[in-house]
Amino acid sequence: MNPVVLPRSLFIALGLLLALALLLSLALGPVSLPLLDTCKAALRLLGLPVAGDGLEQAELIIGQIRMPRTLLGLAVGAVLALSGVAMQGLFRNPLADPGLVGVSSGAALGAAIAIVGGASLGGLPDAIAPYLLSASAFAGGLVVTALVYRLGSRNGQTSVSTMLLAGIALTALAGAVIGLFTYLADDATLRTLTFWNLGSLNGASYTRLWPLLVVTIGVGLWLPKRAKALNALLLGESEARHLGFDVERVKRELVFCTALGVGAAVAAAGMIGFIGLVVPHLVRLLVGPDHRVLLPASALAGAALLLFADVVARLVLAPAELPIGIVTALIGAPFFLYLLLRGRA
Amino acid sequence: MRVTARIASLCCAVLLSQAVVAADALPQRWVSAGGSITEWVVALGGQNKLVGVDTTSLNPIELKKLPSIGYQRQLAAEGILSLKPDLLLGTEEMGPPPVIAQVKGAGVTVESLATKADIATLEHNLTRIGALLGDEAGAAKAVADYKQRLEQQAQWVKTAQAGKTAPTVLLLLSHAGSSPMAAGQDTIGAWLIEQAGGRSIATHNSYKALSTEALLALDPEVIIFADRSIAGPEAKAALLKQNPALAATHAAKADRLLALDPTVLVGGLGPRIPDTLAVLGAAFYPAAQPLTANAKP
Repeated sequence: MNPVVLPRSLFIALGLLLALALLLSLALGPVSLPLLDTCKAALRLLGLPVAGDGLEQAELIIGQIRMPRTLLGLAVGAVLALSGVAMQGLFRNPLADPGLVGVSSGAALGAAIAIVGGASLGGLPDAIAPYLLSASAFAGGLVVTALVYRLGSRNGQTSVSTMLLAGIALTALAGAVIGLFTYLADDATLRTLTFWNLGSLNGASYTRLWPLLVVTIGVGLWLPKRAKALNALLLGESEARHLGFDVERVKRELVFCTALGVGAAVAAAGMIGFIGLVVPHLVRLLVGPDHRVLLPASALAGAALLLFADVVARLVLAPAELPIGIVTALIGAPFFLYLLLRGRA
Repeated sequence: MRVTARIASLCCAVLLSQAVVAADALPQRWVSAGGSITEWVVALGGQNKLVGVDTTSLNPIELKKLPSIGYQRQLAAEGILSLKPDLLLGTEEMGPPPVIAQVKGAGVTVESLATKADIATLEHNLTRIGALLGDEAGAAKAVADYKQRLEQQAQWVKTAQAGKTAPTVLLLLSHAGSSPMAAGQDTIGAWLIEQAGGRSIATHNSYKALSTEALLALDPEVIIFADRSIAGPEAKAALLKQNPALAATHAAKADRLLALDPTVLVGGLGPRIPDTLAVLGAAFYPAAQPLTANAKP
């Protein structure tokens, strides 16, 4: 497939797009603030000396609601897209998504245990209760991914196809256990579970944000270092080995990065589908399969798409809001189809 | 002459401004979440203060014109703040907690009431709403009336039950799917059945899916559907045609299938409960004189 655009123009376009998305995400919401107030409040939050008369409300809305939400969207979108690239490279299959190694279903299982179990445990201490869901989802994702990886390894060799099948089997198993929890749940916990599965950036706060930011920066710095190895993997595992790459180690790192990144994203914002599967695809359609470009470009595109989707999610039904998982698919799927059909013509 | 007019108008202004000051202390713009809480606000005369409601606040029908803040467990802080409320009134079901904290942080009073279906909780809730409306007397009267009506209901059940066994009753939600959800022991559905003089026969807790065989095994004498759409005879006939197991129960054979507005089941004891109980009671004991005139079976 020939690249449609040059990497440099793509980076410029994506950078502008992301800047626009950031601006919109800070400037738009159900509470309408004058653009000037938004800018002033944002500058004041950055510690710049700007006159702050009559800006209390703007500062509160920007500082406590929109800013954490924007950062959350940025991190979740970027890390999901990066993990998607890693998985599609590892499995050498454009249909691969981060869920394939079991991290999403594991996290969903962890969340279900926390939601239903937490409800039946009754009153947890206030210090723990808000983190229980996130911690449990994160742990669930890591545990199931580790299991999938173990099942796929034999004598120090990891078979990607065995891992794929193990991932499918464990996903089915996790689905069954989640189903059981759904059955045991009362109607209140059932609603919580359903909404969690649709994902949302709603209620973002700095305390829930920083673990994800750390993970995103880590994954975002680490994965591009493996871009050459991912390119070599495209030729096949033995070819990559002959080119001098430690294939087993690369595989291990890719799986670990994905588990960490997706686990943290899902723990912070619930299940947000589509980004991990389609954003890498989209970028590949535009610039071709070179991972040195694909990884950073996907991170930018994922973050921008998620932020745009979130702006729509909070505005379209205001003052109520739509789960973001619905919007990412509604925006992304038609655009993806358009690119596919255009590529064929 | 002019002086008197001036003094008079000055007096008026002073009086008015005092009234305004007193009213200022009370929250003027309310957002209410939770069906029965909102119903109580309306019943106590606070409808003109509501500037937004959640998706479970469906009664009275005029509330649909107000902006919707979404489902009460998935509220969004900015959406609520865009309505510039003084008060967010709701139940302990409101969430998620970080959003509630953000709303509080923005200076909005958040009043979270309990939803337990008992009189003590109701009395506490109504007293709070009354205080927030500045109408404690009205709230106290509403509580007294409510208690009295439940008392009358209990008396009526005692008389109607004399020498008879209570009918076995099952309450079903969402009959359209393959297996309906039955109201279990700890639900407000079961409470309604017992208060109206029936015997709730579902043994499980909360709302659980019920298989057709389990329905046949329970074989209730009365089935209540929490769905207004099956009230008509044609709808009932169609329902029975689709569900042969249902048609084989005592309740269907004796034509004792009742329709109930599902919104009375949400969010604790609402103002429509006494009327609902009278209607259910009249249907459970067709031979007895109904408690209220409009509670014909």
